[in-house]
Amino acid sequence: MQMLAVNMSENKTDVPYGTLDLIILKTLDTMGPMHGYRIARRIEQVAENFVRLNQGSIYPALIRLEQQGWIGTKWGISETKRKVKFYSLTRTGLKQLSLEVAKWERSTALVARFLEAES
Amino acid sequence: MNPRLALARLLAMFRKRKLDRELQEEILVHLELAEHDALSRGLMPDEARQAARRNFGGIEQMKEDQRDNRSVRWMENLLRDFRYGLASLARDPGFAAITIGLLALGIGANSAMFSIVDAVLLKPLPFPNPERLVRVWESTPNGHNGTTTLTFLDWKRQTDIFEALSAEGAFRAALTTSGDPARVSGKVVSADYFEVFGVKAQIGRTFAPGEDQPGAARVVVLSHAFWRTHFAADPGVLNRDLMLDGEPHTVIGVLPAGAFDRDEAVVWKPMIFAPDQMNRRQHWLAPVGRLRAGVSLDQARAKMNMLRASLDGVIVQKKWGFTVDPFMQMLVGDTLRRSIYLAFGAVLLVLLIACANVANLALAKGATRRKEMAVRAALGASRGRLIAQLLTESLILCLFGGAAGVAFGALLLHLAAPWVAASLPFTADLSMDLRVLVFAAFALMAVLVLVGLLPSLRSSFGKLSSALNQGPRGSSGSNATMRRTIVIGEVAASVILICGAALLFKSLAKLQQVDAGVRIDHVITMSADLPAAAYPTPDRAIRFYEAIVQRLQAAPGVEQAALSQGLPLQGVQWGEFLNLPGVRESLLVRLKLVDPGYFSAFQIPVQAGRGIESRDRAGATPVVVINEELAKQLSRTFGIPSAVGRTVSIGVPGYGPIPESLVTLQIVGAIGNERTAGLNAPPELVAYLPLAQVPRQDFKIVVRTRSAPSAVMPAIREAMHQIDPNVPLGDVMTMEQVRENSILWARQPTWAVGAFAGVAALLAALGLYGVLAHSVTQQRREIGIRMALGAGSGDVLSHVMRSAFAMLALGLAVGLAGAFILTRVLKTLLFQVSALDPLALAVACVLMAAVGILASWIPASRATHVDPMTVLRDEG
Repeated sequence: MQMLAVNMSENKTDVPYGTLDLIILKTLDTMGPMHGYRIARRIEQVAENFVRLNQGSIYPALIRLEQQGWIGTKWGISETKRKVKFYSLTRTGLKQLSLEVAKWERSTALVARFLEAES
Repeated sequence: MNPRLALARLLAMFRKRKLDRELQEEILVHLELAEHDALSRGLMPDEARQAARRNFGGIEQMKEDQRDNRSVRWMENLLRDFRYGLASLARDPGFAAITIGLLALGIGANSAMFSIVDAVLLKPLPFPNPERLVRVWESTPNGHNGTTTLTFLDWKRQTDIFEALSAEGAFRAALTTSGDPARVSGKVVSADYFEVFGVKAQIGRTFAPGEDQPGAARVVVLSHAFWRTHFAADPGVLNRDLMLDGEPHTVIGVLPAGAFDRDEAVVWKPMIFAPDQMNRRQHWLAPVGRLRAGVSLDQARAKMNMLRASLDGVIVQKKWGFTVDPFMQMLVGDTLRRSIYLAFGAVLLVLLIACANVANLALAKGATRRKEMAVRAALGASRGRLIAQLLTESLILCLFGGAAGVAFGALLLHLAAPWVAASLPFTADLSMDLRVLVFAAFALMAVLVLVGLLPSLRSSFGKLSSALNQGPRGSSGSNATMRRTIVIGEVAASVILICGAALLFKSLAKLQQVDAGVRIDHVITMSADLPAAAYPTPDRAIRFYEAIVQRLQAAPGVEQAALSQGLPLQGVQWGEFLNLPGVRESLLVRLKLVDPGYFSAFQIPVQAGRGIESRDRAGATPVVVINEELAKQLSRTFGIPSAVGRTVSIGVPGYGPIPESLVTLQIVGAIGNERTAGLNAPPELVAYLPLAQVPRQDFKIVVRTRSAPSAVMPAIREAMHQIDPNVPLGDVMTMEQVRENSILWARQPTWAVGAFAGVAALLAALGLYGVLAHSVTQQRREIGIRMALGAGSGDVLSHVMRSAFAMLALGLAVGLAGAFILTRVLKTLLFQVSALDPLALAVACVLMAAVGILASWIPASRATHVDPMTVLRDEG
C-alpha cells in the first residue's frame, strides 16, 4: 500500500493508513455510481477539515479495487460533457465492504479498550 | 493474491498502452471538473486551474503508483528486456540467424537421437507391468539356446512362477482372399501369448485356452494395421474367413493399434504341437513369459534351477541349464545398445561444439558491445540488470533455437525412421513425444547456462572508463584468450569424433573386403513357401522343385537357377549333432539344404569329391557334402584326414507331419567355406544335404543372371506363376542387398558417427574462422602500421596463420589424447581394426588440419588486403 502525500503546510492529517479502500467502498455504497472527481470531492466533504486528500491518490486505489472485482466501471458523460469512467460497487464489493467495516470496528474497539484501560 | 487478481494483473501488462491512455483521460476530466467547480466558486481562471492542480497532487508520481498497483513489476521488466532483446537481435540479423541455426542443429540432432535412445533403451515397454516380461531359455556353455517341446510344457506348468508362458514361432503364408496371392508374415503362438503381453483385443477376442490343442478350429488374430489395410477397418471382420495357404482361418479378433503394428507379423495363429514334436531333442522354442506378481527374477531363476535338477533324469542335454532373463534386455542386442550410445555420445559432442560456437559468437558480440554496456552502467543500470538483460537476449536466442531445433529434430527423425526402424525392436516407437520435448527443454537450459551466463558475466564486468577509452583499437586480452581456448576445445572435440569415424570407416571397409566365399554379383534371391494343403508330401514338393528350376533355367537371361534353405550371410536356421559311427563324441553342425544348382550359382568351389547332384534324389543313398571348416574339424577332432567316403549320422528335419529322424549319410564331397553367419563371423561347421532328399516347405530361390538381376524378375515371376499361381514370392533381394543388410549393424553407427564428425569439423572450422576473422578486423590498424613499415603480404599472412596453426596444433594434441582414451569404447564395434589404429588416427588429424587451414586461409588472406593508408586515415 502506498503512502499518501501529506500537505505539511496545513494542520490536517493524512488519510489513515489502509483506510482509503474502505472509505471509497463506503462512499460508493452510500452515493451509488460516481466518477473519480466526484468520489474525491465526496471524501473531502465528509472528512471536512480532518484530512487532506491528494485527489489523485484515489486512482491507484480505484484500479486496485477494480482488479479485485469489488468495484465495476462504466463509461459515462461528465458534467462538462466529457467521456469519463463511472465507478460502482459490485456484489462482491458489497460483501467486502461489510467485512472491512466489521474489521475496522473490531480494531477501533480494541484500541478504545487500551485507551480506557490506561486511564 | 487470489487468481482473479493475478489474472487481472497479468492482463494489465499486455493492455499497458490502453490503461495508460484511460488514466490520462480520467486525469484530464478530473482537472477540468475541479477547475469548473473552482470557477463556479468565483475564483479567477488562473487561480482555478492552479487550485485544481494543487488539490490533485503529483500527477506523474500517481501514474507510477497506479502502474505499480495494477501489474507485476519484475515481469514488466522481463517483458521490456524481451522486447529490447528482440530489437537488438533484429539490429544484427546475421548474428541471430547463425546462432539460432547452430542451436537448432545441436538441439535438433540431439532430440532426434534422444528419441531413439528413449524408445529403445529408456522407455518401459509399451505393455502393462513390463518388468514382469521375461524370456526363458536353456543356457548352454556359450550362451542361450531354445528349448524342446516337452521341457517347454514342463515350464508352462510352473504356474507359481509364470502367470503366462508362450512359445512363439514365425510363419509365412500365401494370402489368397482376393486376386493375386500375397505373402504375409505371421506368428504361431501359444493360446496365452497375449496374456503374456497384457494386450486385449480391440475387437473380438484373443485366443482362448485350448485353442492351441490338437483338433481345435483354425482361428487367427489380426494386427490393427493389417485390419485397416486389408479389411479397410471393417468392424464386421469377426468370423470372416482369411485364406492362408488355401485354408480358411476364422478371424476372432483384432489387436489394438500400437506395438504389435511394428512387428513384422500381421496375423497370429495358435501353435499346435504335432506328435513328433513331443520330444526333448529338438531345441526349437524360445518362450516368452509373464512372471506372477511378486515373483522376482532371482526367485524365478532359483525355482527354475530346482526344476532343472528334478528333470535331470529326462533332459537330453545334461550340461545345459534353465535361465530367465528380462524381456527388455533380450530385445536389444549388445551391438545395437552400444551403437545407440555411441551415436548419442557423438551427437552430444556436436551439441557441445555448437554451444562453443554460440558462446564464441556471443563473446565477440559482447566485446563490441562493451561500450553500450558501460554507458548503460554509467546511467545507473545495476550490474544485475545488465546481466539480466544479456541473459534475456540469450534466452530469446535459445527459445528460437530450441523451437527451430525441435522442428528440425522432428524432420530428422521422420527422414531417419525408415532407415533405422529395421534395426530396432518392435516395441520401439520413434516419435517426438513429450519425453523428447522435456529432454530438449533440459538440453536448452544447459545450453542457456553455457552460452548465456558465461559471456554475460564477462561482458558486464568491464569498467566504463576503460571501455570508453579503449576505442575500437586493440583486441581485448582476456576475452581473446577465452575465445581461443574455446576454439581449441572445439577442434579437440572434433578430432575425437573424426578419429572415431575414421576407425569405424576403416573397420567397415575391412568388413566389406571380407570374401563371403560366394560370388554375389548378378544374383537375385527371393523366398517362397509351399502351402501345406497343396503340397502335403515330400514327393509333391520335390516335383515342384524340379519343375520350377527347369522353368527358370529356360527363362531368358537366367544363367543358373538354384534352390536352398537359407542364403549366405543370413545365418543357418538348423543346428544338429553329427556323429561318427561308433564314436560317442558329437559335433554341433549347421545344416543347409540345397539343390544341385546351389554351389555353381554361387560359384562355391568343390574341393574334394563332388557337390550335390541330381542323382541325389529321394530313394537314393542319403548323402552329405561338408564345408572346408567341417572337414578340418573332423580331422582335428576325430583324426580323419579325408572325410570323403565316410558315413556319419545326423538328425534330419522332417516334412509336414513326417517327424525329424536320425539318418546315416555318406560324405560325398567337400566344398569351400561360404560365410553363413555374416561377414564378421568366422566360418561355421556346415553340412549340406540335398533338398531333394530333405525337402522343406520354406525355401529360397537363387538365380544367377546374365544381365541386371532386376531385368530378369518379370520372367522369374512369370515362370513361378505358370508352375503354381498360388505360391507368392517374397523378400526379393539381390545378393548385394543381402550382403549390405548383413552389415547394417556396422554401417549405421559408422555413418551416424561419420555424419556427426563431419558436422563437428565444420563447426570447429567455423569457430576458427570466426575467431581469426574477428581478430583480423580488430588488428587492422596494427596490420596497417606493420605494412606501412614495410611488412610484405607474406609476413602478414604468416602472422595470422601462425596463430591459426597454434590453435589447430593444440586442438589436435588435446583431441588425440582424448581419442586415445575414448576410442576404446569402439572396441567391440571394430572389425579387425585396433582402437588405436595409427593410420586411421593420422588420417583423422590430417583431415581436421586441412579443414582448419582452409577455414583460416580466408581471414588470413583478407588481412593481406588491408590498405595501410585507409586504415591509418580512418582511425588515426
